[in-house]
Amino acid sequence: MKRQIPLIIIMTLGFMFVAHSFIPHKISVDFFDWFQDWAKAISPFAVSLGIMSLFMVHGTKIKRKVPNWQYSVITLAGLIFTAFAGFAWGTQSGTPYMWLFENVQMPMSATMFSLLAFYIASAAYKAFRARSAEATVLLVAAVVVMLGQVPLGAMISKWIPETSTWILNVPNLAAKRAIMIGVGLGITATSLKILLGIERTYLGGGD
Amino acid sequence: MNKNVISFFNKIQNIDRRYIYIVVAFSIIIPLLIPFNSRTYVTKPTEDIYKKVDSFAGDENKAVLMSFTHDASTMPELFPMEVSVLRHCFERNIKVFTICWIPAAAPLVDYALNTAREDFDVQSGVDYCNFGYKPYVLRLPIMLGMGDDIAKAVETDSQGRKVENLEIMKNIKNYDDMNLVIDFAASGSALQWITYARARFGANIAAGVTAVMVADNYPYLQTGQLMGMFRGLKGAAEYEKLVDVFAAYESEDYPNGRPFSKEVIKETRVPITGDTVPYKYKKARIGMNAQSVAHIMIIFFILLGNIGYFITRKKEL
Amino acid sequence: MFEIISTFVAAFLTLSIFSFLYKDNPFYKFAEALLVGVSMGYAIPLVYENVFLPYVYTPIFLSHKFIIIIPALLGSLYMFRFSKNLGWLARYPIVFGMAIVGMSVPMSIHSSVLVQMRSAMLPIDGINTALIFIGTVTILLYFFFSKAHKGIYGKVTNVGIWFMMIGFGASFGYTVMARVSLLIGRIQFLLGDWLGLVR
Repeated sequence: MKRQIPLIIIMTLGFMFVAHSFIPHKISVDFFDWFQDWAKAISPFAVSLGIMSLFMVHGTKIKRKVPNWQYSVITLAGLIFTAFAGFAWGTQSGTPYMWLFENVQMPMSATMFSLLAFYIASAAYKAFRARSAEATVLLVAAVVVMLGQVPLGAMISKWIPETSTWILNVPNLAAKRAIMIGVGLGITATSLKILLGIERTYLGGGD
Repeated sequence: MNKNVISFFNKIQNIDRRYIYIVVAFSIIIPLLIPFNSRTYVTKPTEDIYKKVDSFAGDENKAVLMSFTHDASTMPELFPMEVSVLRHCFERNIKVFTICWIPAAAPLVDYALNTAREDFDVQSGVDYCNFGYKPYVLRLPIMLGMGDDIAKAVETDSQGRKVENLEIMKNIKNYDDMNLVIDFAASGSALQWITYARARFGANIAAGVTAVMVADNYPYLQTGQLMGMFRGLKGAAEYEKLVDVFAAYESEDYPNGRPFSKEVIKETRVPITGDTVPYKYKKARIGMNAQSVAHIMIIFFILLGNIGYFITRKKEL
Repeated sequence: MFEIISTFVAAFLTLSIFSFLYKDNPFYKFAEALLVGVSMGYAIPLVYENVFLPYVYTPIFLSHKFIIIIPALLGSLYMFRFSKNLGWLARYPIVFGMAIVGMSVPMSIHSSVLVQMRSAMLPIDGINTALIFIGTVTILLYFFFSKAHKGIYGKVTNVGIWFMMIGFGASFGYTVMARVSLLIGRIQFLLGDWLGLVR
């Protein structure tokens, strides 16, 4: 029963949504309005999942004093202090909460991703090899597209941006379209599997 | 082949990656420190967005929705696009809404609005409105709900005001009026707008994406499901130029900006050195200079790596 | 002065993360741990103000729509997700959110399959449309694994591989561009906002 009832709910609601896509009747509109109100009221609680999992992971690390457990203390302290700052002094600009966002969270998350520029340059040098005919085509397409995007490319020759646009509009388009059709069918199949109760991994383990 | 050449290539094949990192850093630092004027070529996907936004100029019955689905990590690419679109809307008196779907995007919306509005006499709730942060799980319900009634779907704005009571909502009911949605994201999030808002309600959808997503979106661009696309930092640079050349243009004939013209954009060069354009409105174009140098440097790395590979492989054979 | 200190903190944390490029070190570990904590902590008041207050508190306590108590209770079942014995209770809010995939059945077929197929079936009026047609069909055939890729069929699917390689090359080129752009943004911060060297 612990599985059946949720599955019945998803089947019923899911097929009502399928019907809602096709039938613009008042009942269908009312159903959607009801769903919106309920979904909105359920949604804030989802954040508790993230908080709990973070506390569980780092709490265990601290308790067991695993190597580098001190950093887990920093994570939890950061979490508690930031949340406290938001509740105590508000979330408007100029508050400690926003200061933390602007000077701690924002610069660090931006920098984290920018590290990838170094890695991709190093990979381009060490791993991007014309080992076969196919790899050579990939390499040439990449180089033309890279040159085509920057002002210097157009300065070298007007053919570079034009060839780059052609690559994107013709062979790339064909490749991405074929993959997209496959993915679209995959999404539809997965959605149907969820609605029919065949795909159940999202329910988690247990009975 | 000369032994010295082979041993040289052997050596540089196995060079410490940190030397490569230093070269990467300098290839970006130097062009940023010494800005130079390079030409920004405007492409069709960006131009189409500009023309669509501009077609709403001064129209009380039309509005643009900017949807933010990214955090600070991809800000360098997406932020200049957002500021440029807002600047365009404020310059040309176009109603604009903003909404975001992840907590970390909420202050970025404020930051973009604050950056653009300080040069204009615009008022929240009248000329623009920030619907604020709505959780991602509500994205579909809200996206679909806006097809019937925007005020009902979003309910409150970022300041907690009832959206239906705001002056900006006069004549704006659903996607027929809020006819253009621009989704800024580092993922394929525009697909949701295409799948729901476009397929069901016929809304015009444009995407502001990081360069990673560009190639994947071409099929949507060709079918018209995406009416336009900002393609990474280059897209941002192109829009900056378009706003400079048309929307922000002032003369006796055109006191509030001039209409788009292919000839004008082709011939006009906007200098990015000097003070004619404020730094915040040319950040992407200055960045594109560094982008040029970095691309050349990476292509050089690819070539050098491959030459080394072939020379050392020949020896092995 | 306050602004200088703030920018200094941001620059220090930026450099702490960059220090990982040299090798893993306590500065990087500190910054990483802090980032995870602050990011999560940041979401809590925001969700409370922007979601809990307007969608739960206001309807129940101010508008007296008491029916909303039911979804609120349903939502609070999320908290049992990590419980060994009561974990199944969290399935209720999860399925409620998942049900909307019902919409994606007709909608994804429309936007990712039908519209794309329609555009793939346009009359071939030139070399480019012919190439797009050949590319799309040969790649679709490549992903059809029920027939061995041998003989003429193998040659046809091989054409698909070439098209895909060009597509992946384009994606790689753009990926390089994206990564470089992000680094440019950070260096603009360090040189401009922090050191004041560019304006």
